[in-house]
Amino acid sequence: MSKVSINKLKKQFGDAVALEDFSLEIADGELVAFLGPSGCGKTTTLRMIAGFIEPTAGSIHIGETDVTNLPVHKRNTGMVFQRYALFPHMTVAQNVSFGLEMHNVSGKERDSRIATALDMVRMTSFRDRYPRQLSGGQQQRVAIARALAIQPKVFLLDEPLSNLDAKLRVEVREEIRSLQQNLGLTTVFVTHDQEEALAISDRMAIMYNGRVQQIGSPKELYDSPSNHFVADFLGRMSFFKGNLVANGRFVSEAGTNIQVASGQKVGRIGIRPERINVGAHPESDNVFDGWVESAAYLGSLIDIRLRLQGGDILNLHVPNNASSANTAIAPGSPLVASFRSSDCVLFAE
Amino acid sequence: MSSVAASNISAATAPKVRRRVRWSSLLHRVFVCMMYFFMLSPLIFVVWMSFFVDAIPHFPPSGYTLKWYESAWQNSSFMNGLVLSFQVAAVASITGVILGVAAALGIVRNGFLGSKFVNTLLLSPLLIPGIVAGIAIYLFYMRAENVLDTDIVGTFGGLVIAHVCLTIPWTVRLVSTGMAGLDPSIEEAARNLGASSWAAFRRVTLPMLRPSIVAASLFSFIVSFENLELSLALVGPGKTTLPIAIMQYLEFNLDPTIAAVSAVQILLLGIVMLVTDRFVKLSQVV
Amino acid sequence: MMGYSFNHFDPMDLMVETFTLENYVKFFSDEYYRKVFISTLGVAALCTVFALVLGFPVAYFLAKTQSRYKSLFIVLLVFPLMVGNVVRAAGWMVILGNVGVVNATLMWLGITDEPIKFMYTPFAVIVGTTAVVMPYMILTLQSVLEGIDFSVEEAAQNLGATFATTFRRVVLPIAAPGVAAGTMLVFILCMNAYATPVLLGGTGLTMMAPSLYDQIAKASNWPFGAAMALVLIVTTLLLATLSNWLIHRNYVKTMGA
Repeated sequence: MSKVSINKLKKQFGDAVALEDFSLEIADGELVAFLGPSGCGKTTTLRMIAGFIEPTAGSIHIGETDVTNLPVHKRNTGMVFQRYALFPHMTVAQNVSFGLEMHNVSGKERDSRIATALDMVRMTSFRDRYPRQLSGGQQQRVAIARALAIQPKVFLLDEPLSNLDAKLRVEVREEIRSLQQNLGLTTVFVTHDQEEALAISDRMAIMYNGRVQQIGSPKELYDSPSNHFVADFLGRMSFFKGNLVANGRFVSEAGTNIQVASGQKVGRIGIRPERINVGAHPESDNVFDGWVESAAYLGSLIDIRLRLQGGDILNLHVPNNASSANTAIAPGSPLVASFRSSDCVLFAE
Repeated sequence: MSSVAASNISAATAPKVRRRVRWSSLLHRVFVCMMYFFMLSPLIFVVWMSFFVDAIPHFPPSGYTLKWYESAWQNSSFMNGLVLSFQVAAVASITGVILGVAAALGIVRNGFLGSKFVNTLLLSPLLIPGIVAGIAIYLFYMRAENVLDTDIVGTFGGLVIAHVCLTIPWTVRLVSTGMAGLDPSIEEAARNLGASSWAAFRRVTLPMLRPSIVAASLFSFIVSFENLELSLALVGPGKTTLPIAIMQYLEFNLDPTIAAVSAVQILLLGIVMLVTDRFVKLSQVV
Repeated sequence: MMGYSFNHFDPMDLMVETFTLENYVKFFSDEYYRKVFISTLGVAALCTVFALVLGFPVAYFLAKTQSRYKSLFIVLLVFPLMVGNVVRAAGWMVILGNVGVVNATLMWLGITDEPIKFMYTPFAVIVGTTAVVMPYMILTLQSVLEGIDFSVEEAAQNLGATFATTFRRVVLPIAAPGVAAGTMLVFILCMNAYATPVLLGGTGLTMMAPSLYDQIAKASNWPFGAAMALVLIVTTLLLATLSNWLIHRNYVKTMGA
């Protein structure tokens, strides 16, 4: 396995800029997820690492080798495609064998590497089946085995779970993560599903409109988003536009007074719904009265839109536990909400 | 194929490899253009020659003229052939489309006639040599003449009936493809709104099939017009279709007159084809 | 319709009041007809191979191109099919004749002083027939190639395969059904060709369809013509089925290795 260095990568299709100023160092054995809405440039970047797309500018190094101009078949990256891309005319074992043959691995070693790869994804008993005889999840496992059998320098996954149903998605995701950690694979994982990215990655890069918005660990990105887009894209957040009137005192455009941690230039603040308590919590220095505008019952929690006196909306999650079961949360009923000033996230704009 | 060879030579240095890949794709394009030229060149040159001034053509010509179109126009066997081909194609395509639409409806609605049967039906005119089919129909007509005591061989009707058989498979294919692309719930919606099954068909389904039906008519026209082999055994003395007239002339002469006649056929069928393409993408037809 | 009319074919054999195989014996024992039969097979096989080899890159291009002129490319393919074989044969006569385009060019370039005789040779028939059937081959192949998931090719390259290997081990086997269908269709068309061999082959090359038509229309030898027709149809179907089966089997086998 090798580290990957991407330096000032840029891609233009005609006049349209698909990716700009993308720089990233992926450490040996690290899993980085590219997350963003469709068209943000995440797949383009992945395909440039694999060599399917030629960058307009910038460079890509795998290990110490500059691969920017290397053709696809010489890069030794193992890629898992969104729709698996298994060879329909080959059995499971032949699919895995293909890459080994291309790398001139033969005889006993090839057999043993096929066996290891299939064993790794628990597909040994299916080795003589054809792809069409397998379920989606099984096909994806074969695609993973095929990509890993060649012992690639980088493991690339292009939305590998998007064609699986919800339960299976979690299962395969956990399998990929444990394989990646056990084998120490340097991995790039492209997804548009934030839960997937948060659960699987060491670090994630949030992309939008061909630009990286923020790179960091899942916790960093969720707890301290660096801009409004990241905060809004990742999880839920209630936003208030307004100004600091004094150090630590923020007033929204609708007139709500909020205590915040000290900050320099603040144009907007945000608060995550799960950081808000029902009732006046002793540690909370922000306490508001409001009316329930709507409440959605989501099973493990209740999602509430609370209208404050000035008209601002506060979004909060009430856990569906023994105490909240007694609280009357019907539209129109009054409710007191509170949160700590330190839980507010401050944005420049 | 050309790009196979080029990218095989994988060079040692990386930037060179990239350039080779582009090279091979350029080579591929050049090859594709050459193949197109290969397929289209007979049409290009025949049209070109129809404008030559010289009666005994040679390349390059000593000048250009339109006089051969005039002489083709005055040649009665070409004119009569053009008229007969046009009439046969028109009548055969209209009759064929009516029967073909009915057949397609029957096949698609009563699903028991599977796609395999339809495919066999559609391939049948290809499997039997046109010459043999023409002779077979000729023999059939001879027997029918004996039974019915009327002339069929060499008559306009006899030729049309044979051409109808030729066009029906195409109509069935086009219309059944068109029907398969229709959302059945649209007709159900019409029924739900109170239309009888006939009204739903006439007011809703038929209009939606219009593009396929128009394309089928035009396509049938082309298939019938350009047919040589089926007609060969069935035309009467002195009454030939245009392709037969061209064929007979070509066996002895090649001059700008015949080039002009060919150019007329190319132009006529080309126009019909372009109109067809407006209704149904030709790539789905052939 | 065809089957029905064939029922009426048998009575013609019986018109000579016996049931006999003498027509078939004559066909296969006569040197001339054996030659007609064999040259028909040869021309059909050659034209099919040429159409496949030359047509595949075109079909591949059409299947992969994202050009907005793609529908124009398709129309240009269908166009020669629509104008009829007679007119196309006329075009080839213009090109290949003694004073035709090719000879004029060759003489202008000084490559040859005397016009080369192309017309009424097997060469002319093969060139003409290949051009006639190639659009069919391309359209058949293209529709199959278009159905192949492009990411399969990318996967092969990602696993270290060159373009050539990807083509040989992945694209071709997946396209095998299309190759089989195209080959079969084109072979049948070549075997049954009439106008092209008559006009371009003349007396230099006689093929089955023109020959059997002459038997019936000119020599009025109905039973012998009918026998030739049957030989032609049966051979065509047998060989087409065989090639179809071979391609399928071959690819299943190599992939099993």
